[in-house]
Amino acid sequence: MATEAKKAWKSHLILIPFSLLMIYPVIWWIGASFKSTSELSLPTIWPKQWMWENYTEGWTFSSQYTFTTFFANTLMMEFWNVLGGVLTAALVGYGFARLNFKFRNFWFAVLMMTLMLPAQVTVVPQYILYNKLGFVDSYIPLILPHFFGGGAFFIFLVIQFIRGIPRELDEAAQIDGASVYGIFFRITMPLIKPALYTVAIFTFLWSWDDFFSQLLYLSSVEKFTVGLGLRMFIDQFEVQWGQLLAMSLLSVLPSAIIFFLAQKHFVEGIATTGIKG
Amino acid sequence: MKAINPWFKLLTTATLVSALVISGCSSNSTESANKSNSGASKSGGSTNIKIMWWGSDQRHEATTKALKLYEEQHAGLTFTPEYTAWDGYWSKLPTLAASGTLPDIMQMDAAYIQSYVKRGLLADLSELDLSEIVDEQVIENVKIDGKLYGVPLSYNGQAMVYNKKAFEQYGITLPHNNWTWEEFFEYAREARTKLPEDVYPIDDLRNIWEWYQFYQTSKGLGPIFKDGKTFNLDKETWFEFNEIYADFQKQGIVPPADLQLYSKENDPQTDSFANGHVILRGSSVGSASAVEALLPEGGEIAVNSYPVGNAGGGWAQSTIFFSVSAKSNNIEQAKQFLKWFISDQEAGKLLATTRGIPINSDVLASIEPNLTSGERLGIDLLEVAKPNALPFYPAPSGAEDFTATYKSEMESVMFGQTTLEQAYETLVEKGKAAESAIQ
Amino acid sequence: MFAKQSRIKHQHNIAGYVFISPWLIGFLLLTLWPILQSLYLSFTQYSLLDSPTWIGSQNYENIFQKDRLFVKSLAVTFTFVLFAVPIKLFFSLMVAMLLNRDIKGMSFYRTLIYFPSLIGGSIAVAALWRNMFGLDGYINHVLGWFGIEGIGWISNPNTALGTLVLLSAWQFGSTMVIFLAGLKQIPKDLYESASVDGAGVLRKFWNITLPMLSPVMFFNLVLGIINAFQMFTSAFVITAGGPANATYMYVLFLYEKAFKQFQMGYASALAWILLLIIAVFTIINFVVSKYWVHYESEGRG
Repeated sequence: MATEAKKAWKSHLILIPFSLLMIYPVIWWIGASFKSTSELSLPTIWPKQWMWENYTEGWTFSSQYTFTTFFANTLMMEFWNVLGGVLTAALVGYGFARLNFKFRNFWFAVLMMTLMLPAQVTVVPQYILYNKLGFVDSYIPLILPHFFGGGAFFIFLVIQFIRGIPRELDEAAQIDGASVYGIFFRITMPLIKPALYTVAIFTFLWSWDDFFSQLLYLSSVEKFTVGLGLRMFIDQFEVQWGQLLAMSLLSVLPSAIIFFLAQKHFVEGIATTGIKG
Repeated sequence: MKAINPWFKLLTTATLVSALVISGCSSNSTESANKSNSGASKSGGSTNIKIMWWGSDQRHEATTKALKLYEEQHAGLTFTPEYTAWDGYWSKLPTLAASGTLPDIMQMDAAYIQSYVKRGLLADLSELDLSEIVDEQVIENVKIDGKLYGVPLSYNGQAMVYNKKAFEQYGITLPHNNWTWEEFFEYAREARTKLPEDVYPIDDLRNIWEWYQFYQTSKGLGPIFKDGKTFNLDKETWFEFNEIYADFQKQGIVPPADLQLYSKENDPQTDSFANGHVILRGSSVGSASAVEALLPEGGEIAVNSYPVGNAGGGWAQSTIFFSVSAKSNNIEQAKQFLKWFISDQEAGKLLATTRGIPINSDVLASIEPNLTSGERLGIDLLEVAKPNALPFYPAPSGAEDFTATYKSEMESVMFGQTTLEQAYETLVEKGKAAESAIQ
Repeated sequence: MFAKQSRIKHQHNIAGYVFISPWLIGFLLLTLWPILQSLYLSFTQYSLLDSPTWIGSQNYENIFQKDRLFVKSLAVTFTFVLFAVPIKLFFSLMVAMLLNRDIKGMSFYRTLIYFPSLIGGSIAVAALWRNMFGLDGYINHVLGWFGIEGIGWISNPNTALGTLVLLSAWQFGSTMVIFLAGLKQIPKDLYESASVDGAGVLRKFWNITLPMLSPVMFFNLVLGIINAFQMFTSAFVITAGGPANATYMYVLFLYEKAFKQFQMGYASALAWILLLIIAVFTIINFVVSKYWVHYESEGRG
């Protein structure tokens, strides 16, 4: 026990300064979010005069809608995105990793290819397509790809995780008469939980950040996301820096909380369920 | 079979979920898609006008109020407003153009309007009679090939601002309006001898093509693209100008290149004027409020004209417009609305200075008592810019590659990575290429 | 790509397609058309504002023969990939191992260390990075304690790209989390039995951690390269490609061609060239992976 405690102490010794180093710029950010515009040019971390208004006025800056609306919109969108992202990645990933079917390698190559073409050149044809389908100014163009067609990154991630799991369990289940569907649900799904949590977190984070699509597809303000709301602080010549920094700090909080809650699940992986390799 | 059950459960859930998503959102989307598809739909005598602009929240609020007022006065007419920030606007608008869904009315900027006019996307508004509302000269100035494609909304212009306190503190001779370029350079030399080491008299703007163009046009040599077509970079003048700055850089009259490029205009952290590294710089009327807000406590801003030559100097004219889509079904209604928008007193009160100094003098007079100090600064800037103002010469559509190259090449020169001769050759090559792209 | 010799010999044609159907249907209905469209556009002159005109391979010829910016941005991008990918991989693996312990407060550390990655491409990151590496920034303050005079790291062409590499390393979180999930998947008994055999820390790392982690490592490598080649946001927000094009990343170049210079056809051609470059690297990766990536499911070698 003594050595264990000593080890933990050592870890803390490394982790504390390292965490501080990583977080330093964020501390500056917290300080800056309380500053007035004229104080921002000063190199100090904390403001002389604390501008709580940056938060209160920033939250309600828009005459018609507050950030409450924007947060609600974004969280609603995120709910579907995460659901779609996880379902699709698990199903498709399992299909590629475990099942032998015709043209599997071909479709896998196509899947990888979709990751390689810069989105900047497909965005306009994509917009034209969604416009023809009548989906513009709705969340559909933002959510639908998470269920269908998108998420190649996550599919590949799940593939790699499943390929790392030994097949003995599958085979045992197969001998017991389980179908591939049964194996997927009862054996593989529980084993790739850490990977699926990863998919969920990243889907959440990245669609939160995907400003350009949100800009294109959402035009009514009542549908704005947090990302679009934040841009409203930036005008051609003038940026409301204090409010912008305050609100963008808040905008990161949901992700941070979700990460904090979800990261525990990395701990329960295959390692604690005690399955032998 | 037993094993399939959970899978079916999942499949049904997934289908249900997607069905929910689609039905949940489509009720709104079909409605708005209809609006955007037809640009504006006319059914049962009602007209819907889609209008789009960029700007700050004050602008959004004021404009939506003005639109409501117009709707009240005109039964059967409704607006679908859409607004974003400045940078997103210019990525979204081309996408809308590509999908054939430009709004009926869109806000335009002088730097971009030509690209849209050239492709026939904007309606000709020359017929609209604005004679009682806007100064004739202003209208003439903003015409493109003799036609009006955008209703000007406000006055803009370019002049200089300086930190008056710093001038007094260090005993530097104050600049005066309509000073010559020689006097401007002389001021820089004099101020250098009096200022502390890390404070500079002027910026090093060699990488800004417009800054050199001011020099060339003020000497009566015309803009870099003459008539918006012919490449016209005057070799002798260009070398003379850049050699002066190279010399200034050596003597520390302008900031070293990495300090110069670190400065981002109107950014509170880095703007060299805001943090006191540079005591005099240019400012447009539109950004006057921003400049004012940045100045550290105890500072005092004064305005001065740009340096002038025998032809004049600086510019003063409208740069923000409302344009009408050539494909709109409601061009007439849109025109009438725009006329109202810039001239109606009630609307003027609502809109105030959210798009700059109002173009209509009656409107301006009615709101003048309520102006903020930043807005007053804008008016001061305009006053000193006007007397000797030259026309505003934007880069012609097709010269984008030239202007981008100008910036990067001159930055290389500022860091001593490229010689002036090499840069000149590259620029001539790009200029000629732009010339053929324009024609 | 997938080992042909699978221990389960059955073909699962129907089940296979059922499982991949969400992706496949979406690909065919939503993704394929825009991709083909961009390929077609790469052979046209297309300003976005009017309809495209077919010009054959003119765009490609111009890119390869005349465009110096193509060469410049490609060089910048390769340099970025060369440094950012290995630094980020190494760094995130080390941190993941550090965080893969059961000690008090670990969730807290993880969240703190992950936090920078949450900021992502948010607008605030530009202000943040300028504060770190600007002339009056934090780094120069620290240097000042040692009597070293700082420079404008972001605004100097010699160091600007380096700050972007550091930024990408600072935001190593997503790679790290994937490593962490991978580490958690390694059965603990492997380590226990190795300890019984008297293996030291290094040998355990070499013989157990690395091979067991190799599928995830491979994933991070492949995606790291793909993402680094497509690096856009931070160059766009922080440096705008400057100074003197020192951070003019390939995709930034392509974006400006498309949306600022109204040359979508040309930009599409640039995109397809990038696709080929990335594809070559990815194929090499897959070929080489046979020699070092260990899949538990395909037998222990």
